[in-house]
Amino acid sequence: MSATSTMLPEYVILGTLLIAMLGIMVSRAHSTLPSWIGLLGTIGGLWATADLWSRHLKPVLLFNQSLSVDNYSLFVDFLVMIAAGSTILLGWQGEREHDEFPVLVLLSALGMMTLGMSANLITLFLGVEILSLPLYILAASHRDPLGGEAGLKYFLLGAFSSGILLFGLALIYGATGSMTFTDFATAVSSNSPILAAGLMLALVGILFKLAIVPFHMWVPDVYEGSPDAVTSFMAFGTKVGAAVILLRFLAYGFYLSPDAWGPLLGYLALLTMIVGNLVALTQTNLKRLFGYSGIGHAGFLLIGVAVHSVVGARAMLFYLLPYGLAVIGAFAIITMISNGEKNVTIHDLEGLAHKKPWAAALFIVFMLSFAGIPLTGGFIGKFYLLQAALFAHQPGLAVGLVVGTFLGLGAYLRPLQAMFRHESNEQALAGWNVNWAQIVVLVVAVVGTIGLGVYPTPVVHMVNQSANFFWLH
Amino acid sequence: MVLVWLLAIPLIGSFVVLFSGDRAAKGVAVGFGLIEIIAFVVLLAHGPADINVPWIPEWGVRFHLGADGLSLFLIGLTAVMTVMALFASSKTYRRSYFFWILFLEFGMAGVFESLDLMLFYVFWEVILIPIFFLLTGYSGSRGRPAAMKWLIMNLVGSLFMLIGIVAVAVLHTQPFGALTFEISQLTHVPMSAAVAPWVFASFFLAFAIKAPLWPFHGWMPDAYSDAPAPVTSLLAGVMSKAGIYGFLRIMLPIFMPQMRQYQTGLLIFAAIGLLYGAFMALRQKDMKMASAYASLSHMGMMALGVFSLTEAGILGATFLMVAHGLIIGGLFVVLGFAEERTKTREIGAMGGLNDDAPRLAAYFLFFALAALGLPGLPGFVGEYLIIQGLVAHDVVFAVIAGIVLIVAAWYMIRLFQGVMQSVRKGPRILDLTAMQVGYIGTLALLVLLLGVWPAGITSHAAPTLYHAVHLLATKGGASS
Repeated sequence: MSATSTMLPEYVILGTLLIAMLGIMVSRAHSTLPSWIGLLGTIGGLWATADLWSRHLKPVLLFNQSLSVDNYSLFVDFLVMIAAGSTILLGWQGEREHDEFPVLVLLSALGMMTLGMSANLITLFLGVEILSLPLYILAASHRDPLGGEAGLKYFLLGAFSSGILLFGLALIYGATGSMTFTDFATAVSSNSPILAAGLMLALVGILFKLAIVPFHMWVPDVYEGSPDAVTSFMAFGTKVGAAVILLRFLAYGFYLSPDAWGPLLGYLALLTMIVGNLVALTQTNLKRLFGYSGIGHAGFLLIGVAVHSVVGARAMLFYLLPYGLAVIGAFAIITMISNGEKNVTIHDLEGLAHKKPWAAALFIVFMLSFAGIPLTGGFIGKFYLLQAALFAHQPGLAVGLVVGTFLGLGAYLRPLQAMFRHESNEQALAGWNVNWAQIVVLVVAVVGTIGLGVYPTPVVHMVNQSANFFWLH
Repeated sequence: MVLVWLLAIPLIGSFVVLFSGDRAAKGVAVGFGLIEIIAFVVLLAHGPADINVPWIPEWGVRFHLGADGLSLFLIGLTAVMTVMALFASSKTYRRSYFFWILFLEFGMAGVFESLDLMLFYVFWEVILIPIFFLLTGYSGSRGRPAAMKWLIMNLVGSLFMLIGIVAVAVLHTQPFGALTFEISQLTHVPMSAAVAPWVFASFFLAFAIKAPLWPFHGWMPDAYSDAPAPVTSLLAGVMSKAGIYGFLRIMLPIFMPQMRQYQTGLLIFAAIGLLYGAFMALRQKDMKMASAYASLSHMGMMALGVFSLTEAGILGATFLMVAHGLIIGGLFVVLGFAEERTKTREIGAMGGLNDDAPRLAAYFLFFALAALGLPGLPGFVGEYLIIQGLVAHDVVFAVIAGIVLIVAAWYMIRLFQGVMQSVRKGPRILDLTAMQVGYIGTLALLVLLLGVWPAGITSHAAPTLYHAVHLLATKGGASS
């Protein structure tokens, strides 16, 4: 097997992207052809990933050590395929008039996959940019004032953070004379102030993408203004991309000096868990609510990085899956209510339990998974993160996790109680609309969420093989 | 295998109910409840059972179910009281109500069967959800805030217990290597003086809130009084036992040195709850509220038995858990009958129901007498054993428990007089139907059986508890 054929999933997505673009040219306007191509492409990508996984290949470094294809990157490919596929499905109806929608989603997914493989500074920056640029366009694709604001805000702040990231990467290169992550730790000047400054600036750039407090200001407005399907992609896919590159960057490049960044990330994680969930309590717009609670979840993810251990890495990688499944499930319900036209608030859920009991039941499952109640995947994820925090002798992080969970639960309970309110307002479910694509997403999300909660062993096993950073303790 | 069926039957039943129509829901649910009782009888015939298979091997989490002298009769209590609650539920409730009741049975049976801490925690939290939705969707005007209070208070407890569980397992790895959550293997966890109080507190808080024990009963009054009567009977009869069961199953084996260390404080705690509940029950105007505080007082009594750390006291608490579950559950069902007929819970607005409904009054009197601990009925046996244990440890607490027994007679008789005797105030009411007599009478017979033949439980429970008390001697040093 040649070295480059281990990148089959990426090539599949790249090819699909190009074919979908051709598809737009040959089909009539607003046809579903590009979406079909994109969907088949993600299924093909999933198949290619599963095929590579089943071969138990040794990790390979490609292109002069700039990309590392290993179980870690393959697991990321799985996650990104789920995110991209579900996004295309969620936008099946609502984004119909934007023919370029599946193409841009796949391009952004390619950026995330690059981040999963990235092993040097150039691919890191390329991945971040390929991820971000299509999202800027997608955020503004609805030409209403909110969408415009979202796109512009996201673009300006994103460009600014990319600049900071690039400056940090340049300083690291200047201090170490190498682009490759694994060279940093052993570089002669490993405790030079320039390297420290570079690390801090690079961290700011990545933490911005992950939406860690205090770099989270863009999230609520961008989530609110973007189309529903795009928001679900940002909430799931962007978090995957940013979290996995943060982990690989630090675990490969700075494993010898965890004191320089571990405590800092620990405090940021605490702050993020508390602030994100606390502000989520006050939101009435559902997308803003998920935006803030997503910030809280990013704080949970950061625990796994901050403890700097194999258990932490595995816990973080695991947590991405139940979180993402709950996101796509919840957004499937939101797209059913909004029908691509309005911004869904808590009041729009009133009476859902009486009028659409099945949708309400599924929504309950996703909220409970977010909140980390047993028999859902979210609980197993939190349990894993707690193990990571306590194995690292960080009871503070464990308590922070619990307090954040608790605050988050308060935020999720408000939509739940609204669903059971009898006095529903007339317009609450006026635009209710279901199509097969949303049902597919719902089925995948609910089966995955409950399955992970009841029998997580296969995924735990996969994660253990993926984040095999044996040089950490 | 019976143990798995005991979990599977209510779970399958709950989903069958969900897929059946609203009209058939009650019948289907009762059917599954009865099958569960048959499964329990099979378990009883086979005696102690154990199932142990890996669940998440990477973390040493095992699907370990067991039924021994401690849990066997609590599983039975769950099965019996669920059927009672299902019978007593109104036919007009929609299927989601019956779904949640059966799901609650699944969770409670799981709590009593689990022998793996992680598995125990899973079921422990599963219980929260059905009760939350039963309170939100099917209770009176204060149900919604009661549901919030219930969930928030219990989650505070259980989330910190989750840290405690992981901490115990992590501490266990330090001398022993592998990660495990088996309760029986965690008994030898060495804990430093800096860590032990925190871990102890995390477990204690969760169990004390669930029971509830004073002063962690904030969620209780609204939830007990505003929930539909069948739900209250499940809450007070079965769910509250999970807290005391946690003390016996988890805290005695793992935290014996700490239990000894804090014993006096814990006893004072429980005694205050005992007194507080009794006197609050005396001054309630709402009959469900009075019974709720009576139940709080009884929980204090059980806690006293556990914290006496004597064989008799612990055995008494174990017995009283089952007896009290049947009695208080039955009492709340009977109160539900009275409320359904008079449309009020005010003791002052009732009275004289005796004239119209002698059968209702008879069952009311029976359960009230059982609750106040009349000799010949099972409440007395449990309380006697607990007081015996307390005398062995410290006679002061025995005296307090004795005094409370007198107060208990007072508040129960007051409740009976207020509701059933005195002058009739409202319109005529109907007596119990044959159906209602059928199931409440069966429950009364069960209570009577337990009262005259307590050895049926104690002879099973004693060997298990002997093991626990044996730990007292080996881990906590000689008895003081």
